[in-house]
Amino acid sequence: MTNGWVDMKNTDMMLIMGGNPAENHPCGFKWPVEAKRTRNAKMIVVDPRFTRTAAVADMFCQIRAGTDIAFLGGLIHYAIENNRIAKDYLVNYTNAGFIVEKDFKLPDVDGLFSGFDDQKQTYNRASWNYQGSGGKSPAPPAPKPGQPPALPALPGTVDFDPTLENPNCVFQLLKKHYSRYTPEMVERITGIPKEQFLKAADLYTSVRKDGDMKKVSTIIYAVGWTHHSFGTQIIRTAAILQLVMGNVGRAGGGVNALRGHSNIQGATDMAGLFDSLPGYLKTPTPADASFDDWMKRVTPTSSKPAAWDSFNYYSNTPKFTVSFLKALYGDAATKQNGWAFDYLPKVDRNYSWVQMWDDMYNGTLKGMLAFGMNGVAIGPNSKKNIDALKKADFLVVGEIYPNETSDFWRAPGISTDEMKQIQTTVYNLPCAGFAEKDGSMTNSARWVLWKNTAVPTPGDARLDHAILAQIFLKVRELYKKEGGKFPDPILNLTWNYSFPSSPPLAEVLKEINGKALADLEDPATKQQIKAGQQLPGFAWLKDDGTTSCGNWIYSGAFTEAGNQSARRDPSDPSGMGVHPAWGWSWPANRRVLYNRASCDVEGKPWDPSRKQVWWSEATQKWVGNDVPDFKADSKPKDHMGPFIMTAEGVGRIFGPLAAFADGPFPEFYEPIESPIDNPLHPQQTHNPVVKRFKTPDDKYGTPKDGYTIVCTTYRMTEHYHYWTKNNPMNVQLVPEPFIEIPAELANDIGVHGGEKIKVSSIRGEYIAKAMVTKRIKPMIIDGKKVYQIGFQIHQGYRGIEEDEGKNARTLANLLTPTVYDPNSYTPEFKGFLVKVERA
Amino acid sequence: MSQATLRIQKISGHAGTVPGEDTQREFTVCKLVDTTTCIGCKACEVACVEWNDMPFSQTTFDNTYQTMPDTRWNYWNLILFNEHEREDGTLQWLMRKHQCMHCAEPGCLEACPADGAIVQYTNGVVDFQQDHCIGCGYCVTGCPFNIPKFNSVTKRMYKCSLCTDRVSQGLEPACIKSCPTGCLHFGSKDDMKFLAEKRAKQLREHFGYENAGVYDPPGVGGTGVIYVLHDATKPELYGGLPSNPTIPLAVKFWKHPLKWLGNIALVGGLIGLFAHYLRFGPKAHDEPDVASKEGD
Amino acid sequence: MSHQEQLLPHDRVLRYEFNERMNHWVAAGSFIYLMLTGLAFWSPWLFWIASALGGAELSRMLHPWIGLVFFVAVCYMFALWSRQMNFDSVDAQWWKSLHYYIQNQDDKMPPAGRYNAGQKLLFWSFFGGAILLLASGVVLWFTESLPWSLRWMRYISVVVHAGTALLLIGNFMIHIYMGVFAERGAFGSVIRGDVSLAFAKRYHPGWYKEIVANSNRPK
Repeated sequence: MTNGWVDMKNTDMMLIMGGNPAENHPCGFKWPVEAKRTRNAKMIVVDPRFTRTAAVADMFCQIRAGTDIAFLGGLIHYAIENNRIAKDYLVNYTNAGFIVEKDFKLPDVDGLFSGFDDQKQTYNRASWNYQGSGGKSPAPPAPKPGQPPALPALPGTVDFDPTLENPNCVFQLLKKHYSRYTPEMVERITGIPKEQFLKAADLYTSVRKDGDMKKVSTIIYAVGWTHHSFGTQIIRTAAILQLVMGNVGRAGGGVNALRGHSNIQGATDMAGLFDSLPGYLKTPTPADASFDDWMKRVTPTSSKPAAWDSFNYYSNTPKFTVSFLKALYGDAATKQNGWAFDYLPKVDRNYSWVQMWDDMYNGTLKGMLAFGMNGVAIGPNSKKNIDALKKADFLVVGEIYPNETSDFWRAPGISTDEMKQIQTTVYNLPCAGFAEKDGSMTNSARWVLWKNTAVPTPGDARLDHAILAQIFLKVRELYKKEGGKFPDPILNLTWNYSFPSSPPLAEVLKEINGKALADLEDPATKQQIKAGQQLPGFAWLKDDGTTSCGNWIYSGAFTEAGNQSARRDPSDPSGMGVHPAWGWSWPANRRVLYNRASCDVEGKPWDPSRKQVWWSEATQKWVGNDVPDFKADSKPKDHMGPFIMTAEGVGRIFGPLAAFADGPFPEFYEPIESPIDNPLHPQQTHNPVVKRFKTPDDKYGTPKDGYTIVCTTYRMTEHYHYWTKNNPMNVQLVPEPFIEIPAELANDIGVHGGEKIKVSSIRGEYIAKAMVTKRIKPMIIDGKKVYQIGFQIHQGYRGIEEDEGKNARTLANLLTPTVYDPNSYTPEFKGFLVKVERA
Repeated sequence: MSQATLRIQKISGHAGTVPGEDTQREFTVCKLVDTTTCIGCKACEVACVEWNDMPFSQTTFDNTYQTMPDTRWNYWNLILFNEHEREDGTLQWLMRKHQCMHCAEPGCLEACPADGAIVQYTNGVVDFQQDHCIGCGYCVTGCPFNIPKFNSVTKRMYKCSLCTDRVSQGLEPACIKSCPTGCLHFGSKDDMKFLAEKRAKQLREHFGYENAGVYDPPGVGGTGVIYVLHDATKPELYGGLPSNPTIPLAVKFWKHPLKWLGNIALVGGLIGLFAHYLRFGPKAHDEPDVASKEGD
Repeated sequence: MSHQEQLLPHDRVLRYEFNERMNHWVAAGSFIYLMLTGLAFWSPWLFWIASALGGAELSRMLHPWIGLVFFVAVCYMFALWSRQMNFDSVDAQWWKSLHYYIQNQDDKMPPAGRYNAGQKLLFWSFFGGAILLLASGVVLWFTESLPWSLRWMRYISVVVHAGTALLLIGNFMIHIYMGVFAERGAFGSVIRGDVSLAFAKRYHPGWYKEIVANSNRPK
């Protein structure tokens, strides 16, 4: 989230889309409700179903799953057409006035941006750049075979038009790009009637009536946006809308991702994806010959209009990286060996989730440690995952219950004879539940919150990280004894914990926070830190090997003052929901990101009643109720951009160069399985860079094959993923799976509520009782009547009811397609095609 | 469930005075349920089952998100889910926390024949004392809200105790404690009424619910659970909340006129027969006493 | 046709055979239990009766079962006596002369058969009452399993059960009074089964004639 849970109480308007927070984040949903209660804030819910969130909303629009970009694009179009935009904000805090390369082409004709390579199904993104001069001088190294061509640099000085009139400026391009997203087009694509869309658009943009900047609106989303083959671009569209309306960086504003689990944010921060290191540092690739090459490639240089300033905070990338390598390898990381650059694996291709299963299916991945996740059930295309595991040599499952993954070999449909053929060795290790271990969780608001152990692990169960530590120690012992091809990264890994076989998590957090390896002094304040002391924050990180830090954004979480994430002071002096001494929030205990943008160019808050930070003439510093997300002494007249993490210093309406794989502006594409051709450009229906898989288990359905119903999947309040089907309390609340279908569809196939139906996609089928409801209505999509259905994912073939044979034991993800977003690699769980019949 | 330190102001089936009546300054407690901010998350259901340590029971899917069709002896608190299509075609998904209303004039207590099986504390909480319950089920007849539930093993009636064990110690009931959105509040009746009316006014003025209002039915003397409803003119939409609940007329008739008529008739009859004997004596037939004859 | 000789030695007349007497006492015993426990539930002032009878919980448990016993006994009575309980023209006369009956001027009463009109009314009131009590009693017995939509049945049942019980208790009091205190010899008829000739002649002259007519014994 750019903002935070508690901050939502400051909003005037909420757009909740691609998420069902009342259902899936009921505790956090307190704050949207608080905004309604204390500020008369309005809530618009856009969802394929009338959800529990819709039940408390002021307006609900039923959208076809996967058409969010069309809706949001329509909103951008509406805001621009009706002058409900933040003009000053746009000019000064975004790249709206930046001039774009002449060669850049919008996809308005053929659905493709400039530079598309038909053969490779990728874009050459060289033309997706600003026009200007200067920039990163040294040419990047020549790409190795199989690597994408190197891109030019961003210009150091960008051509700029403060009037936003230049036809090639970002704003004019944006306006042109979304001019096709008329209310009529929105209706054709999304199924939301024009009048209803206009009502929603009017309501949402009403906060910026006549450009007045006092009010703020927020956008709240969850995996309903990410689970698409264009998920990143949906979120981009939301970000653009918020930038155009001047809502980012402000209390009660922003673009707010509600993470799917209590610690998903933490997992992402600690390198949840194969192509990042902790703190979102980019991994080295085989093309990076040395540490310096790597740093040159990944460290941005500023790119801005001549008269402006840009902090370009990522220019500190070498400091973060060297400190990270010092944390990993200690004394073995020296300036001479490029801070042990050679120890790091070089990422030569895609190793994302779907790709891993494909690799295993194709026999190149031989084994798997599955801890705290149920790979078979979470799919997509569970059958492919089951088939992949059949081919693996070994599978280690660390779990608190037997689950669909540990028991993949006895998935329904596998005969006893077939079971005998499966040679995979499965090791089941009883692990610890969340209440059986301490450590921190990082919530959606980036708040790092320490928790204590509540109960001991039962029986022989052990802490997950203790098991991993013991595996590591055993492997290290083997390397010590037997040598090996390249033992150094293993032998030199720092492991200075008081209990090496079960590292105390507080020590791990201390290590992540970082410490001084030599005596340090801040030249400005003369503050000193002795060698061995914990660092107060990432501002102290050095690229000369005198600091170590496991994750730069977490620096400050465990300082000399103690474990900051364990703080529990509920006070909130400003009343703005900042709670500065409750836990600790990355970065630097800052609760609202980009909060410099909450002030006008002079440094005065847009809304004096909601003051976050401001420029203090007296102290010549940025001060405030929150920690200013800015260079503290940068005077307003220097015009430093508030978005300090971008090279431009401003918010990116146009995402230049390598920022996105599939376009600098979000364009609407149909989900990989869609009931119609893309009304914007029927010849280019799907996201052009999306990859389809080729194994026999990978099939994609079309309306011609009889798959005409749009299907989506979701979670329920009553269950937690595939876990709680083992807990009698949760099972009592929702004992069995069900499929929500419109009453009209039920009528068509002659089914009553509570009777079993079968939903089939081209990949598999799912059987459960029908829930016949008025909460999903038939839709008219591009003139055609289209039904939409959905079901919850929580059951499988292991659990209380399952073990008693009380449900059909099918997995939701038997239906979902193997296809993923080209930027985030998240699979498209939502908006696939099915048919429905009586079971 | 537990009398704890609470004093009693009304006792079912009780002859004589009530020890706690008017002996305490204590205010009436009240739960406020704002249905307009209920998200049906069922946290209150779980909290109720957990705090009161009740066993689980089997449920089946029944074309609804609702956990079960009705409350059970071991499930005192249930969110009722109702889909409602308004005249303009828009949909409402109404969710109401259904539990004992803790009426000021409780029909269950009125109907109960067992001495001390149902009591009302001076704070207004109506509580079943299973120690004294005889399982007759008359409380079911007396209740206009369908609350008391029978356990066929213990042969006793159960219902929400308003967590008297917590409330008597100055804590809020478990359901209130667990509510994540702040849709549930707990406090004195006056305070809750104030909050509820304020919220209803806000709904009328800012959110377009012209008929928003507070449900605190006078027919049972007001309730210890009050609702804010989007449309207070149609409480039936919220899972059959009666628009004007009263103690059933039959129960009132049975417990009042019929009782006194009956008592007068019975006592009068006894007196009449006795008087008849005094006035006319036994019937005489011309025959010596049977016994003496036999004695011959 | 053969039937049991009803004229007994010593100027006695057989009024009730053994099974009639037995059934009467089954009905009487169960009714008394039902009345006492019922009264305990009826008024807090009488709740102590339940305590005296082993506790209200036991009373609640047994009341319906004893009720079934009572109902069966009443049904058996119906089988035994219903044909003799038809109202006839004499009964109409009897009602008109009720005030003589109350004032013990039985010689001014029309000649009753085996049962006078009052007794017939008692019989039918107990029979009808038993049916009403059973019907309403079953509703109250399983009151918790009745769906909410049928709650009106509960409302009717509580009133019917209590009202009927009150009427029956009233009738019962009169019955006891008549049988034990007012009509000497009546009590014995349900113990030993016989009454004196004089008793039969005075209170049930019609019946007396019938017996004598049917008798095989010399007068």
